[in-house]
Amino acid sequence: MTIGSERYGSRADTAVFAVCLVLSLVALALPEALRLPIASALRRTVLLPVVTVQRQAALSREERQDVLTLRAERDSLALASALLPGLRAENAQLRSLLRLRGRLGYGYVGAEVLHQTGLADGLTLLLSAGRREGVAALAPVVAPAGLVGAVLSVDAHTSVAMAWSHPDFRVSAMVEGGRIFGIVAARRGETAGEVMELTGIAYRDTLPAGTPVVTSGLGGIFPRGIPIGTVQGVLSETAGWERTYLLRPAVHPAQASHVMVLGLDRAADTLAAAFDTLPAPADSAPQP
Amino acid sequence: MRLPPGRLKLAAALLILVAAHLVLRPRFAPSRFAPDLVLVALLFLAIRTRPAVGALAGFMVGMLSDAVAPTTFGAGAFALTIVGFVAGWLKAVVFADNLLVNALIVFAASWARDVLQVAASNQLRGGALGMQLLVVSPAAALSTAAAALVALLLLRGWLTATPSR
Repeated sequence: MTIGSERYGSRADTAVFAVCLVLSLVALALPEALRLPIASALRRTVLLPVVTVQRQAALSREERQDVLTLRAERDSLALASALLPGLRAENAQLRSLLRLRGRLGYGYVGAEVLHQTGLADGLTLLLSAGRREGVAALAPVVAPAGLVGAVLSVDAHTSVAMAWSHPDFRVSAMVEGGRIFGIVAARRGETAGEVMELTGIAYRDTLPAGTPVVTSGLGGIFPRGIPIGTVQGVLSETAGWERTYLLRPAVHPAQASHVMVLGLDRAADTLAAAFDTLPAPADSAPQP
Repeated sequence: MRLPPGRLKLAAALLILVAAHLVLRPRFAPSRFAPDLVLVALLFLAIRTRPAVGALAGFMVGMLSDAVAPTTFGAGAFALTIVGFVAGWLKAVVFADNLLVNALIVFAASWARDVLQVAASNQLRGGALGMQLLVVSPAAALSTAAAALVALLLLRGWLTATPSR
């Protein structure tokens, strides 16, 4: 067959194209209950080598980038470890005196975010940890700065997380102190995944700009105290009824590279102490 | 059955592009502007074979990319099926083994893929839609076209427009 118009206009080409197009439309119309198992089967079979190569590439990049940092940190740690037992005991005493909870410390699995091409990257994230590493469906996904999302489906060594920027994502939120509660979702129509909205705030309650918003712990999925974002201002209001606030997110899912997947057994915990969200007291003196 | 050497070279070039995509892409930041070498491989294949092969390959690549983002399952397959078919068909209409023409086809295909995928997935609206289609997608298409140019220069001997026989 040669390059020429006769072979391009063949009915076979058009038929194959039509079949592929119809199949893709069928895939688009599939309900989520069918969509997730099919996607999971593809990830476990055909895509397994691809995901493995990508995970290894991400790991080797980390190793190369971090070697100097790791060396410096190892030296510092060796020095610091000499003082550790005394400091740990002292810290435990002080935290006990202040009635502070423990830091994150346990009950999570570290994972790399394997970013993909396509528009859905940032709405769903492929994580490099799966069932074998202890990840379970609906487990909360957090970054050091705050909430990223929740696990949607789990394979043996990978999992897919629904980021907060996904249109279907909702999380129960509160203003620190537990006085005001609302629901946080991605603000659709704004720059992809850049901002959130906090809805359901009673009209009598006003939130000044800069107020930190954290997970409330209601719903049994997300532990209490994970930073979600900070208030930017009022987005809309229903006079005499409720206000909706615009939030600046604590974490941008499309930029996250490392995350922690929390265990489901931590849903009842309060993790506020694991994140630095409390604003500095107004009268606090600057550190020397 | 033995494949002709031209086909083997094409297959090797496409494999190199896919491997480069997997290895190099994690190093590219920010990732939303990173070149999509799998799309480049798909277009090179579609251009060098027949539209049906382009459509079929586009469908399969799309399904696999949808599998890692199941929230828009089918949207990638839909977009890449059309892009693969049209790329094969376009090559018949405006055939030219010219670097610039190839880069232009890659740029247009990358942008068109995003437009089709956005339309099929229905995930973005308002400002986000405008930002994606008028800023992010063209920038990503530009980096993909630049990567295609580099690939063509490096693998030119393997990527000569071999008609399917």
